[in-house]
Amino acid sequence: MDKVKDPVFGIGKLDDDLTGIPDKKSVLFFASPAVGNEVFGYQVIHNNLLHGNKVLLYVNRTSPEAYLADMKDYDFEVNSNLHIIDSYSGITGISSKSVDDSTMISNPYDKEEIKKALSEELDKGYDLLVIDSLSLIADFFDFDYAMSVIDLVKDKLDKKGGSVLSLFTDWDYGEENLNKLISKVNAKVDIKGIEKRVIFGQYFAVIKCDWVKDKKFSSVLFKAVKPGGIKIYFPKILVTGPTDAGKTSFIHSASKDAVSVDRLGGTIALDHGNLDFKGYKADLFGTPGQERFDPLLKLLGGEAVGVILVIDSTKPDQFPRAIEMLRKTETYGLPIVVVANKADLPGALSLDDIREHLHLDKNTSLVRTVAENLNNIDPNKPTRLKKDGVDSALDALFAELT
Amino acid sequence: MIKTGIQSFDDAVGGIDLRKTYLISGNKESGKEDFSYRLVASALRDKNAVIYVTTGKTVNDVIASFQSRQLNISQYMGNSFKIIDAYSRSISPQSTDNSYTKMLNGPLDLTGISVALSAMNAEMSKEGVPVLNVIDSISVLMLYNNPTTIYRFLQFVCGRSKMAGISSVFLIDDEMHSPEVNETIKSIMDSVIMLRLENGKRSFKVLGNSKEVLDWKDI
Repeated sequence: MDKVKDPVFGIGKLDDDLTGIPDKKSVLFFASPAVGNEVFGYQVIHNNLLHGNKVLLYVNRTSPEAYLADMKDYDFEVNSNLHIIDSYSGITGISSKSVDDSTMISNPYDKEEIKKALSEELDKGYDLLVIDSLSLIADFFDFDYAMSVIDLVKDKLDKKGGSVLSLFTDWDYGEENLNKLISKVNAKVDIKGIEKRVIFGQYFAVIKCDWVKDKKFSSVLFKAVKPGGIKIYFPKILVTGPTDAGKTSFIHSASKDAVSVDRLGGTIALDHGNLDFKGYKADLFGTPGQERFDPLLKLLGGEAVGVILVIDSTKPDQFPRAIEMLRKTETYGLPIVVVANKADLPGALSLDDIREHLHLDKNTSLVRTVAENLNNIDPNKPTRLKKDGVDSALDALFAELT
Repeated sequence: MIKTGIQSFDDAVGGIDLRKTYLISGNKESGKEDFSYRLVASALRDKNAVIYVTTGKTVNDVIASFQSRQLNISQYMGNSFKIIDAYSRSISPQSTDNSYTKMLNGPLDLTGISVALSAMNAEMSKEGVPVLNVIDSISVLMLYNNPTTIYRFLQFVCGRSKMAGISSVFLIDDEMHSPEVNETIKSIMDSVIMLRLENGKRSFKVLGNSKEVLDWKDI
């Protein structure tokens, strides 16, 4: 197959922002240790092979056979345009016999043999070199050696053409080393986790790119999906809470085009609304509050990245049920905002009392909401909530999420 | 506190503290694995969630090790008990994930271990129950990686598990490593459980815990 065009990422947002990887350019995928970057490598390789590009893969993290098996799990097939330099099998002594198109480095502890293999193979001319992983080269030898490999590759690409993509995990190599590395590449894409106690989302962001001018890059959430690979991920916000607390009212008040599946004013399946708020877009999913729908809760809570817990301020006897719903939706630990609805009705507890009853720590956001017009309540329709309360809740949630 | 299921240990120390990191240190005959298997079974029985990382045995061998001790874990597998297998693919590259196992690409892939552990910790923390990580073992990881790399890995994994409120236990065969390596790894952990076999009896010490056991005590 002939080369069709410059190497691509095959990842929507990156190709849109960076328009592929121009000839003789180097890209660094820079990941935090709790977030995997290997799927980015799989996807880039797969898409370049589909485009007819010749790809050289330097693999030192695992055997070529396991690497290709992992790619296959994501539905990424390879073809004869891929050649692999195997810098792993020599460590275990088990060669990847089923992978024909590979060059095995007999002693992966030999710095010179690695450079020689890379140099000889790059002389044959490739459109794209993928190094998986550059950080492991630094771990195996030292950071300076990893930098000298980058220099060697750059020198070869300047002479023979082609681009390079390096996968790197930031295991705290020190600022000086990292600055040295970043100065050597043309583009850097950060791959990181959004974390509080645990990682509840992953994003990538173009931090540097010297061939795209006058463009602001934004970060996007993603998921690595089997099969399919990297998918841009739009967050799901779960709105949950006891019966008649005001979940549906909250979703309809916060969204432009909310729909409910309900009967006689009570939600029996779910509510959904598209939220467009101060530059954030999100899908709101509401749960039914009645206990007979509890078997649905885990399903509805799946993939949520944040929670709005709606409670009726006048009904402290329902508060244990509110906590139970967090547990049943399996959203414990996610960023959460508690909405104290009906806060202006007689018998409503103060925010301090609610915080005490729910055992909320001082860092958990607790926001009052009230109906727009108490004289115009239709029990069979969602009640509109006053904008300031809804906005305060959304402000607090997005502050938690970002 | 997570009970270990080993009466003399639980009586003396109470069990494994939540949000703490422990090093289980001893030689090949000291009973580290036996200790960890009993700890896992006990934790599961008490409705905790457990993630077991194996670096030198296949997942099938790990399960067989529980069964050979009459420790029933089958009812928890895929639910509150999950295994990260960082070994099988190094001998059998086609090994694939199942409902209770995440297959990684071998003991060199520390990033893979860290990512899988983070993801499973996040998943299990959502259930609202205490989570225990068992990493068996540091010694195997040391065979493939240089000490500095392992120190960085341990610091990161320990820091993250404490941040997430999770207890973590790491096994090490201390006779395989130099005193400097052993001391550095101990310094990364909150507590050290030392095990030994002497005169046909197994015993333990506990250092750095809220309740310490400074003299060898029979198991």
